[in-house]
Amino acid sequence: MVERRALVAAAVAVLLLLPGCAGSRVANERKLARSGAVATGGDVAQLNLAAESDASIGGLVNYNPFAPKQLTKTWLYEPLMIQNSLDCTVTPWLATGYRWQGAKRLTFDIRPGVTWSDGSPFTAADVAFTFNLAKKYPAMDTAGVWNDIFGAKALSVTATGEQVVFEFSGDAASKFTSIIGQLIVSEKQYGSVGDPTQYVDEKPVATGPFSVDRYNGRRLELVRRPDYWQADKIKVQRLVLEGNYDANQAALKLRTGGLDFYTGELPNPQKTFVDPDPATNHFWYPANGITVLAPNLTAKPFDDVRFREALAHGLDKESASLKATYGIMDVASQSGLTLPAKQALLPPGYPAASTVVPFDAGKANQLLDAAGYAKGPDGFRRNPDGSPIAITMSVQAGFIDYEATADEVVANLRDLGLDIKANKAAPDSVDGQKKSGDFQLMINYMAAGCDYANGMGATLSTGTIPTKTEIKGNIGRYSSPPVDEAVAQLTGTTDPDRTKELVGVLVTTMMTQYPVLPLFYAPARGIYRTDKAVGWPSAKDPYANPQDNPRLWITHLSAPK
Amino acid sequence: MRYYLRKLGFFVLTLWAVVTINFLIPRVQPGDPAEIMVQRLAGKNAQLDQAQVQAMRDLLGTPTGSLGSQYVQYLGQLLRGDLGLSYNYYPFEVTRVIGQAFWWTVVLVTVVQVLSFVVGILLGAFAAWKRNGRFDTTVTLVSTFLGTLQPFWIALLLIYGLGYSLGWFATSGGYEQSTPGFNGAFLYDAVSHAFLPALTLMIVTPIGWILGMRNTMIMNLSEDYIKLAKAKGLPDRVVALRYAARNALLPSVTGFALALGGVLGGTILVETVFDYPGLGRLMGEAVGLKDYPLLQALMLLTAVATLVANLVADLLYGVLDPRVRRSQA
Repeated sequence: MVERRALVAAAVAVLLLLPGCAGSRVANERKLARSGAVATGGDVAQLNLAAESDASIGGLVNYNPFAPKQLTKTWLYEPLMIQNSLDCTVTPWLATGYRWQGAKRLTFDIRPGVTWSDGSPFTAADVAFTFNLAKKYPAMDTAGVWNDIFGAKALSVTATGEQVVFEFSGDAASKFTSIIGQLIVSEKQYGSVGDPTQYVDEKPVATGPFSVDRYNGRRLELVRRPDYWQADKIKVQRLVLEGNYDANQAALKLRTGGLDFYTGELPNPQKTFVDPDPATNHFWYPANGITVLAPNLTAKPFDDVRFREALAHGLDKESASLKATYGIMDVASQSGLTLPAKQALLPPGYPAASTVVPFDAGKANQLLDAAGYAKGPDGFRRNPDGSPIAITMSVQAGFIDYEATADEVVANLRDLGLDIKANKAAPDSVDGQKKSGDFQLMINYMAAGCDYANGMGATLSTGTIPTKTEIKGNIGRYSSPPVDEAVAQLTGTTDPDRTKELVGVLVTTMMTQYPVLPLFYAPARGIYRTDKAVGWPSAKDPYANPQDNPRLWITHLSAPK
Repeated sequence: MRYYLRKLGFFVLTLWAVVTINFLIPRVQPGDPAEIMVQRLAGKNAQLDQAQVQAMRDLLGTPTGSLGSQYVQYLGQLLRGDLGLSYNYYPFEVTRVIGQAFWWTVVLVTVVQVLSFVVGILLGAFAAWKRNGRFDTTVTLVSTFLGTLQPFWIALLLIYGLGYSLGWFATSGGYEQSTPGFNGAFLYDAVSHAFLPALTLMIVTPIGWILGMRNTMIMNLSEDYIKLAKAKGLPDRVVALRYAARNALLPSVTGFALALGGVLGGTILVETVFDYPGLGRLMGEAVGLKDYPLLQALMLLTAVATLVANLVADLLYGVLDPRVRRSQA
């Protein structure tokens, strides 16, 4: 179905481009007539966002935050704290502060004076209740508190006064990001519903900035709560969540003001969105993670670090970014860190600029020659033992940016005298190859994030090599005891200096062992209009990850002067 | 009597085969629905969160026990009318999800099928009566040409022309601002959204009826009883409608019953293009997301509807044309 939609989108795009979009005029006027309200005094009357639930069948109402899908996951229930995944700063939310004692005991101070939308007070007991509910029903434990997926499992979560204390059976510093993100529900509402994952929550009682006004099966309207605990920061009076758009529909809606903010994929946003009206239309794509080239390190010739180093020099990352992201995303640092946001974590001896491996085909050829990969009579390089090299790169069919990237990689490697071809396959079947390890080369996503053990570490540690039934981060099967040790210690440290030291081990590995080859950064997308509201996170004011921190940016928005 | 029993036996046997295939499909498929759902919720460029995958596996549940005991359990559930919970619309029951989409498709496609049948039969009959005339040539040529086009391509042309360029009709969804229910605003909204999907289907669906009716009618027109009717001096209209068309209609009646049965699964592409909230769209979505419980229920529904329609057509045919019963008895 996804492929079908892509096909449809492509065909519509062709049709739309023909007479220069004269057709959007009518739709434009219709939209203008519909909005109408003008904001005054700093207040924003209404913002239009895309629907959060991608369900195509309307009329099934559920706001349960533990269901896989709900009409909104953002604006009703709230977490303890909000972490900006770009620079890892933490903003207090339902909790005002936290303390680690060692890496086994975590204490949160719960914010006083917060009320649920039914008027009853929010307390530390609600927080403890929510986490203990996840103990009883593992299906809602998406934070992994009670299992050992991210560090040691919890022994107890208890509320005492205005504090909630987590006791873990071992080191669990790496659970922090997930724990603070858990959405908190009220004991009053969820205490008597049985299995919370099967509960249909039609009348949510939440702490968030908005409450449900109406829903007609496809259009959800939320209104500002005057009794919200930081209501003075919320200037947006009404949110309208409607529509699951493909790229072309979204571009049209954004241009005509039918959407004020969007995080979906939009090919070439500069041309399709900003250029028609640069004063109002903007986008900001900070680095959220890294698109990397992942070789299978168990197979020749990729098991040879000298071969991988040569590839790092032979990849034209600039050109790959141009083809896959229209040049919006910067070429990625070989360090595995998203720069410049995480520059401070680079170990001494690695200045930020020097961690980007520049494209130099001459050097790549030299390195390959020196390592013994001589060309055979057919013009293709051979392994040092004389056996031929034939590389097949696996590509997810339909992932347009991956396909474009693969084209560039194949061209680059051919220029180095390597016999390589791309094999496009359904994403499911590429997933199967990740599990079985039966592939040579593919494109992968390397997480950045603030939990380095499970973010960066997932690409490098032995514990995250995929199994027959589970996809994990280390698809290349890299294995090194010092890295495993560093990842294990990251789980046990809450000290920033020690964290930097341990991340340094991972960075050094990336810089010297080339387990994966970073190409360009993968974006956190924020596409926005400034005619109704200003204050969006941007390159000048990067206070939030636009895609992942809507609760943060909603508190910064106000009407333009 | 034996004719009816045979048909009934065939019905039960096919139903059993469908149910069994339905049971086997998710069990021979690669891919883990839990991983697919988590990845989809997180987006393509996101690392798979193992804790979330684990929670999702707990949520969706994995079948336990031998294949045989699972099969018996599955049959038991079906007999109780328990089709399970949808993965994609968890925790809603698949019956509830299908209920939401059911009427959108049934109303749209039934109207289109009935209209197409009437229009197609009339055009076909008239073309055959005036065969090789200008009308016949036009109808046959246009039908053959349109028949070669993919419905979704026609849909895209209509979306571009009548939707984007002229802005006359809504191009996606089932309704927009109104509240579903029996009120004027909603009915207007729904009809204006259903217009383009209906038009797309109206362009392609009658073609089969036109060509089929034309061919059977031409065959009938060369029969002796037509010559006799003409020789008797009956008016053309009576010969065409009461003699030739009436007899030529017989095979089309069975075809029509089958077409009505196929209503449920037949519009996946068109509904997907128009983002129409019906069963076809739902089925496409269930396939893409590996929502097995929903997919199984939809396939069961489609199969049962087709089988029932087939059975009714068979039984009806036996009544309409006694020769069928006698020849097989």
